[in-house]
Amino acid sequence: MTEKVNSGARQTSSGAPMVKAEGVHKSFGLVEVLKGIDLEVRTGEVFCLIGPSGSGKSTFLRCINHLEKINAGRLYVDGELVGYRQKGDKLYELKDSEVSLKRRDIGMVFQRFNLFPHMTALENVIEAPIQVKGINRAQARERAHQLLERVGLADKAGSYPSQLSGGQQQRVAIARALAMDPKLMLFDEPTSALDPELVGDVLDVMRDLAESGMTMIVVTHEMGFAREVGDSLVFMDGGVVVESGNPRDVLTNPQHQRTQSFLSKVL
Amino acid sequence: MTVDIDKTAPEDTPPAGPEAIKAIPVRHYGRYISAVIALGLLASIIYAFAQGKINWSAVPDYFFDERILKGVGQTLLLTVLSMVIGIVGGIILAVMRLSKNPVTSSIAWFYIWFFRGTPVLVQLVVWFNLGLVFEYINLGPIYKDYWSDFMTPLLTALLGLGLNEAAYMAEICRAGLLSVDEGQTEAANALGMSHGKTLRRIVIPQAMRVIVPPTGNEVINMLKTTSLVSVVQYTELFRYAQDIGQTSGAPVEMYFLAAAWYLIMTSILSVGQYYIERYYARGSSRSLPPTPFQKIRANVFSLSTRKKATA
Repeated sequence: MTEKVNSGARQTSSGAPMVKAEGVHKSFGLVEVLKGIDLEVRTGEVFCLIGPSGSGKSTFLRCINHLEKINAGRLYVDGELVGYRQKGDKLYELKDSEVSLKRRDIGMVFQRFNLFPHMTALENVIEAPIQVKGINRAQARERAHQLLERVGLADKAGSYPSQLSGGQQQRVAIARALAMDPKLMLFDEPTSALDPELVGDVLDVMRDLAESGMTMIVVTHEMGFAREVGDSLVFMDGGVVVESGNPRDVLTNPQHQRTQSFLSKVL
Repeated sequence: MTVDIDKTAPEDTPPAGPEAIKAIPVRHYGRYISAVIALGLLASIIYAFAQGKINWSAVPDYFFDERILKGVGQTLLLTVLSMVIGIVGGIILAVMRLSKNPVTSSIAWFYIWFFRGTPVLVQLVVWFNLGLVFEYINLGPIYKDYWSDFMTPLLTALLGLGLNEAAYMAEICRAGLLSVDEGQTEAANALGMSHGKTLRRIVIPQAMRVIVPPTGNEVINMLKTTSLVSVVQYTELFRYAQDIGQTSGAPVEMYFLAAAWYLIMTSILSVGQYYIERYYARGSSRSLPPTPFQKIRANVFSLSTRKKATA
């Protein structure tokens, strides 16, 4: 499982991009975190974002499902503006309920898992399908059992998050996101809070997900994962995209001096 | 706080490892002396009370008096209703204070400032005498009456206690809501849950762990504070005890009787609080502390197995 099989054969449709950013700016107070991001994520591809901490990669990820509001530029998911509706040349802010509706289709996995601690693994997974989509309980449970089995935790359905290891918690979090049948998955440093020996299990689940054709945007420090599974890679620093391209090319032969110095430290 | 229930290893089997140390323990003479002094003081207090000119036999005579039982019922009723007003009001005020709307958060701030800053006894008397300000209560076609007829003692007591309590509950609820990690709201939002659902399904159940213990305190406090409402002519346990005391010629004895009843009620409430806390602790610690019944059962069980082993 070191080399990815048929990376070229995966469906990366040439149609509309899943995510498109045009000059995205984001400031927190006086600090400008994103200084004009332009990029495109095609449907079905695994898109890796790397860069030093504070480079704005997580912030950009959070803008995609509108957990953060962008200050300038345009951001599209599946051809639709994120957080706004355009009528003529005017932008209208979306209502909270409309934003929620769009978030259903975007799964997110957090660095610190953020499982609901008062619910068992199974209850974590069925919560959103029942509460948000109105799926009946029996159906949701059946699907949740399938998902937990897929992430290798079929026997942990009744465990509370506090009874699971970090790697197990993160896999439950992935199952929870998948339960909403998203068309796009966002991973915000999914393995950064894990013990080194637990990282592999989570990456295996993500690799499996990539092979099933899920569109994934992954903020990560796992260069090995980016090289094996990634279809595109972007190196960000200081709120701008420094270099982008095929992960194998960028990681083995970085063109930009900033990329070279970063990679020499992490590889 | 994890309590180890797994104490199945019987103490009488010696450990297989190295020989256990058998040493003469240090004698803590200071502890013996302080224990003797404390017991002596306790005994002298008990003796003083037993010697005093208190007719103790009057207490059991009236303990289950019809009026006393009625008073207990009134006290409980008042406690429950005031706490309901307090909790509902407190949640509303806490959400108002945390809202981004500056008007609602200022109003909530002002409310808490006022009701927490004045004594509840004063508030009760003010409610009672508000008829001086409003002669009528006029809700258009729905209701119209004289203020003094509208403001029954029960309503005055409920408003006085409940609105005061809401100010305290608001701060307790606010602390609880703030104690829940922001990542929880984010995760719920990212799953497409609305604000209301996130609050109801995710935030409040976790906030309850922080909210329940001080709320239990508040209930116990409320139960005792109800004894103040005799100033607005509402009759509850304390007032009945006083009345009986005046007619039966045993006034002080009736105070002791009332104190005993308050103690019984607060003790029962404490037990209830324990179980509610246990319910909301699920998932937060790896194993829940056992209930007293489980402890007893575990002990009986281990005792019977030990007996079998020796037999």
